[in-house]
Amino acid sequence: MMNALALRWAFRTMAAAMLSANAGALAMPPAPTNVVATDRPGDGGGAVMLQWTAPAPSEVKEARIERSATAAELKASAPNSAAWISVASAPTLAGEGLGFEITDLPPSAANKSSTDQLVFRVAFLGTDGEMSAFTDSNTVVGVANIFLAKKLGLAVSLVLVCGSVILWILLARAGRSVKIRRIAALDAVDEAIGRATEMGRPVLFVPGIQDMTDIQTVAGVTILGRVAKTAAEYDATLEVPTCRSIVMSACRDTVQAAHFGAGRPETYREANINYITDEQFGYVAYVAGRMVREKPAACFYMGAFYAESLVLAENGNAVGAIQIAGTAEPSQLPFFVAACDYTLIGEEFLAASAYLSGERDQLGSIKGQDLGKLIAVMVILVGCVLATVAAFAPEGASARASAAFQNFLGG
Amino acid sequence: MSTANTQTSAPGRSDLRWLWISLMVFSVAALAANAFLRKDGMAHRYVEVIEFERVEAKAVVESGANATGTETAQTEWVDPTDARLANGTLRLVEGVAPIKWKLHKDVASTTEANETSARRAAGDMSAPVVELSMWNSLGVWAAALLTLGIFSFLYRDNPYYKVSESLLIGSSAAYWMINGFWTTIVPNLFGKLAPDVVRAYAIPSLPVSEHPGLDAGLAFVPLILGFMLIWRLAPKGGWIAVWPLAFIIGTTAGLKLVSSIESDLMAQVVATMKPMVVFTAPSTSAVASSAVSAVNFWATVGSLVGVVGVLSVLTYFFFSVEHKGAVGKAARLGVWFLMITFGSAFGLTVMGRITLLAQRLEFLFNSWLNIN
Amino acid sequence: MLRRTIPMLILAASGILLVVAYFSPFTTSWSETVLGWFNVLAAVAFVLGAGNLLAVNLELVSARRAGWAYALITLLSFAAMFVFGLFKIGVVPNPDHPNVYFAGDYESSQSAFGWVYEYIFSPLTSTMFALLAFYVASAAFRAFRAKNIEAILLLSTAFIVLIAQTAGGMFLTGWIPEDSMFAFLRFDWMKVGITEYIQTAGMRAITIGIALGIAATSLRLILGLDKSYLSKN
Repeated sequence: MMNALALRWAFRTMAAAMLSANAGALAMPPAPTNVVATDRPGDGGGAVMLQWTAPAPSEVKEARIERSATAAELKASAPNSAAWISVASAPTLAGEGLGFEITDLPPSAANKSSTDQLVFRVAFLGTDGEMSAFTDSNTVVGVANIFLAKKLGLAVSLVLVCGSVILWILLARAGRSVKIRRIAALDAVDEAIGRATEMGRPVLFVPGIQDMTDIQTVAGVTILGRVAKTAAEYDATLEVPTCRSIVMSACRDTVQAAHFGAGRPETYREANINYITDEQFGYVAYVAGRMVREKPAACFYMGAFYAESLVLAENGNAVGAIQIAGTAEPSQLPFFVAACDYTLIGEEFLAASAYLSGERDQLGSIKGQDLGKLIAVMVILVGCVLATVAAFAPEGASARASAAFQNFLGG
Repeated sequence: MSTANTQTSAPGRSDLRWLWISLMVFSVAALAANAFLRKDGMAHRYVEVIEFERVEAKAVVESGANATGTETAQTEWVDPTDARLANGTLRLVEGVAPIKWKLHKDVASTTEANETSARRAAGDMSAPVVELSMWNSLGVWAAALLTLGIFSFLYRDNPYYKVSESLLIGSSAAYWMINGFWTTIVPNLFGKLAPDVVRAYAIPSLPVSEHPGLDAGLAFVPLILGFMLIWRLAPKGGWIAVWPLAFIIGTTAGLKLVSSIESDLMAQVVATMKPMVVFTAPSTSAVASSAVSAVNFWATVGSLVGVVGVLSVLTYFFFSVEHKGAVGKAARLGVWFLMITFGSAFGLTVMGRITLLAQRLEFLFNSWLNIN
Repeated sequence: MLRRTIPMLILAASGILLVVAYFSPFTTSWSETVLGWFNVLAAVAFVLGAGNLLAVNLELVSARRAGWAYALITLLSFAAMFVFGLFKIGVVPNPDHPNVYFAGDYESSQSAFGWVYEYIFSPLTSTMFALLAFYVASAAFRAFRAKNIEAILLLSTAFIVLIAQTAGGMFLTGWIPEDSMFAFLRFDWMKVGITEYIQTAGMRAITIGIALGIAATSLRLILGLDKSYLSKN
């Protein structure tokens, strides 16, 4: 009885095994061909492109990709661990064209910017779950390239913007007109200082609360140079409280230079340019108190401002000062606009120092800025047209063009 | 004439003075009554006292059959109840006294403090020890009086405000300097120039660098630039301070030139590229021509307004042309867009500012006056 | 030469170097290194700030000028906070390294420094911040008196957005059905329209302008067109 059962069972298993082997032989997908691995160009290292010839989609579901383990990985893991590490499953078509991108490969121990020598292998998974044999690729090293290709759009934009500015500087030197529209806030600078002089009250200049690592502070200090020159010519007292030590240094240099420029070096008072505290609200407590006590007739706020903007502007209003503000901090513009006599909005503020200098080169650079803006407007219009066409045909070539255009610009 | 003036105005002024003085006397009396007559009157701050103890120990290296083991040279400070001391993987260093201290943790409210004390008094030893903190209670008074001092500026500039302002300037200037010293100078300058010294005296957990020589070399750059910057205090050669300034401005210009184009210019330009017609559902090309009814009216208007807004405001920023004629009209539209933008931002900020004020009042009434 | 040419060369070289460095994977981290240096530099420069603060206030006190008592308060609070922090007075030991005195956290609430921070510094700064509630009101009131169309636009937008955030918005216009053709008159709808379309567009254009302005300003600095702060005589 036992024997008969055992025999029957053995027979059945054999038959099943033969059947499945047979079926396997029928459905086994073909092994991949032409498996080629290349370093991805224009990247920061650790990425490889893998290509293979895609088979007919009816036979194959997807491609399984593995890579050879690095020496370090073999050492770190147990001695008899696999020499191959699974990397990804990819659609079989992904191997066509530029190939399938494999990223985040481990950097080599010796050289962080490239990987060790790696071999990849690809197998196809059939529609019924059968795997083909693996095909090895060539040896490849994923290296970092000198230039990051994904920043090409940025490089082009940079060249366009800088090129526009430089072009106009050259045109200005060649004698082209550099006429700039009037900016009311800047025309009011002299008037405000003149008024302070007549009233015998000081002029207050606040260069924002950020350090020299903010371009707004640099722009503010440059405007200070112009304000200080006028103040020196009119013999008005100019006070500059600062929120950073380095800004104090820079302001002192600038104001001193302005006094030299005005031909009145003897009237320069270092003691009027002081460091108060790095603390935003400590600084504003001082400046507000100072305003109420000294009653400046003109207040300039030029630089990077945050919540303190309104405390300054409202106190300036309370003492009846003419107030001219300029900042590229969008969140504070509403308060300056509401509380100051004149406000330089964003780009106006950043163009102010060039405008005030009156030099041809600098005025030319403002024209260059305009050319840059014109290019931006045209790029926006082209993008909008592409996006509109794409909205009518989301699957078509226009949609791909629109996406590619935005992608190039970093969208 | 002038005497008559003085005479007529004098009683008025003194009336006002008496009004102020009586108001002050009344408030002080009310404060005192609140402080002393009510149970838990004002500004009581309690702390939870947590006792700490640390002992110095050495790790015992397992050395196979030899059960005694050898100790590592490295010692660490552990809690005396550490499990590793009990199971023998750590061994106390002989002749080193344990270090004990008490940590004070703020208790949120007087009620909570009273409850915890009551639990402990009733024999619940899991309840922490709670003490009245004189310093912290005093601190609440100081904070409240200074808060009022700053508020007094709204009425007018006065000595009370000036005292608060002076305290703020002095303490905050020192605060940021000390902050710069302990968080930047010590780890990032001293820690690179003399890592062993810093590890021994200030930051035992300072990570060990892979290239100490390179780090030290690089740390000399800001050190030297810093000295050049400070050299302006010297009687001669102060002009050298311009060099580090040029370096700072140059690097800032380089960094911002790229980052402004990448993260502001390009990102915003791309964000503006919106289709001028918005469909409610994604239309397929087959039905697109017949699906006019599927156009989302408001979204399309919004999209158009967005693009027109960006372009008109950019027109306002054009410096090359005077704002006349067609350009003038576009620029004027741009100004309107700007004003609505600013108004909107203004309106969105107001609530936040009121919340800040409410928090200060809450502090005065709850933490200080203890009126809930 | 030393006073003008070299600084200009330093500025141009460091600027161009950082622009170029941004495009290569080998050098992208340079910007971080430089910012790290700048932090150290700013901390070293505190010597200048502290020197100035001491000089100004000591002069006021020693000459008994008007307000010298306040200068004295500034000096004392500065000195106290400085000593508390530098010597870590009252700091709780670091649990992992209780034997290293300076390993404790300089800001721990039990320390003298932490106490001044919590009960002097912090309430003062947050009250200064809270004053804004009053200044916002006075600024709005001033804009209200201006009679030009710009001010009216600014203020009425602010009013709509503000009221839409409060219960008042729903109270006044909540009865307008959301599916009617007048739904756009609801304050909450208006707020969405204003913030999502107009404000976004306005901010975008401002940001584009600022980006171009910053790029041009940086370029002017690198090219040496703008050198007002470099010339001392």
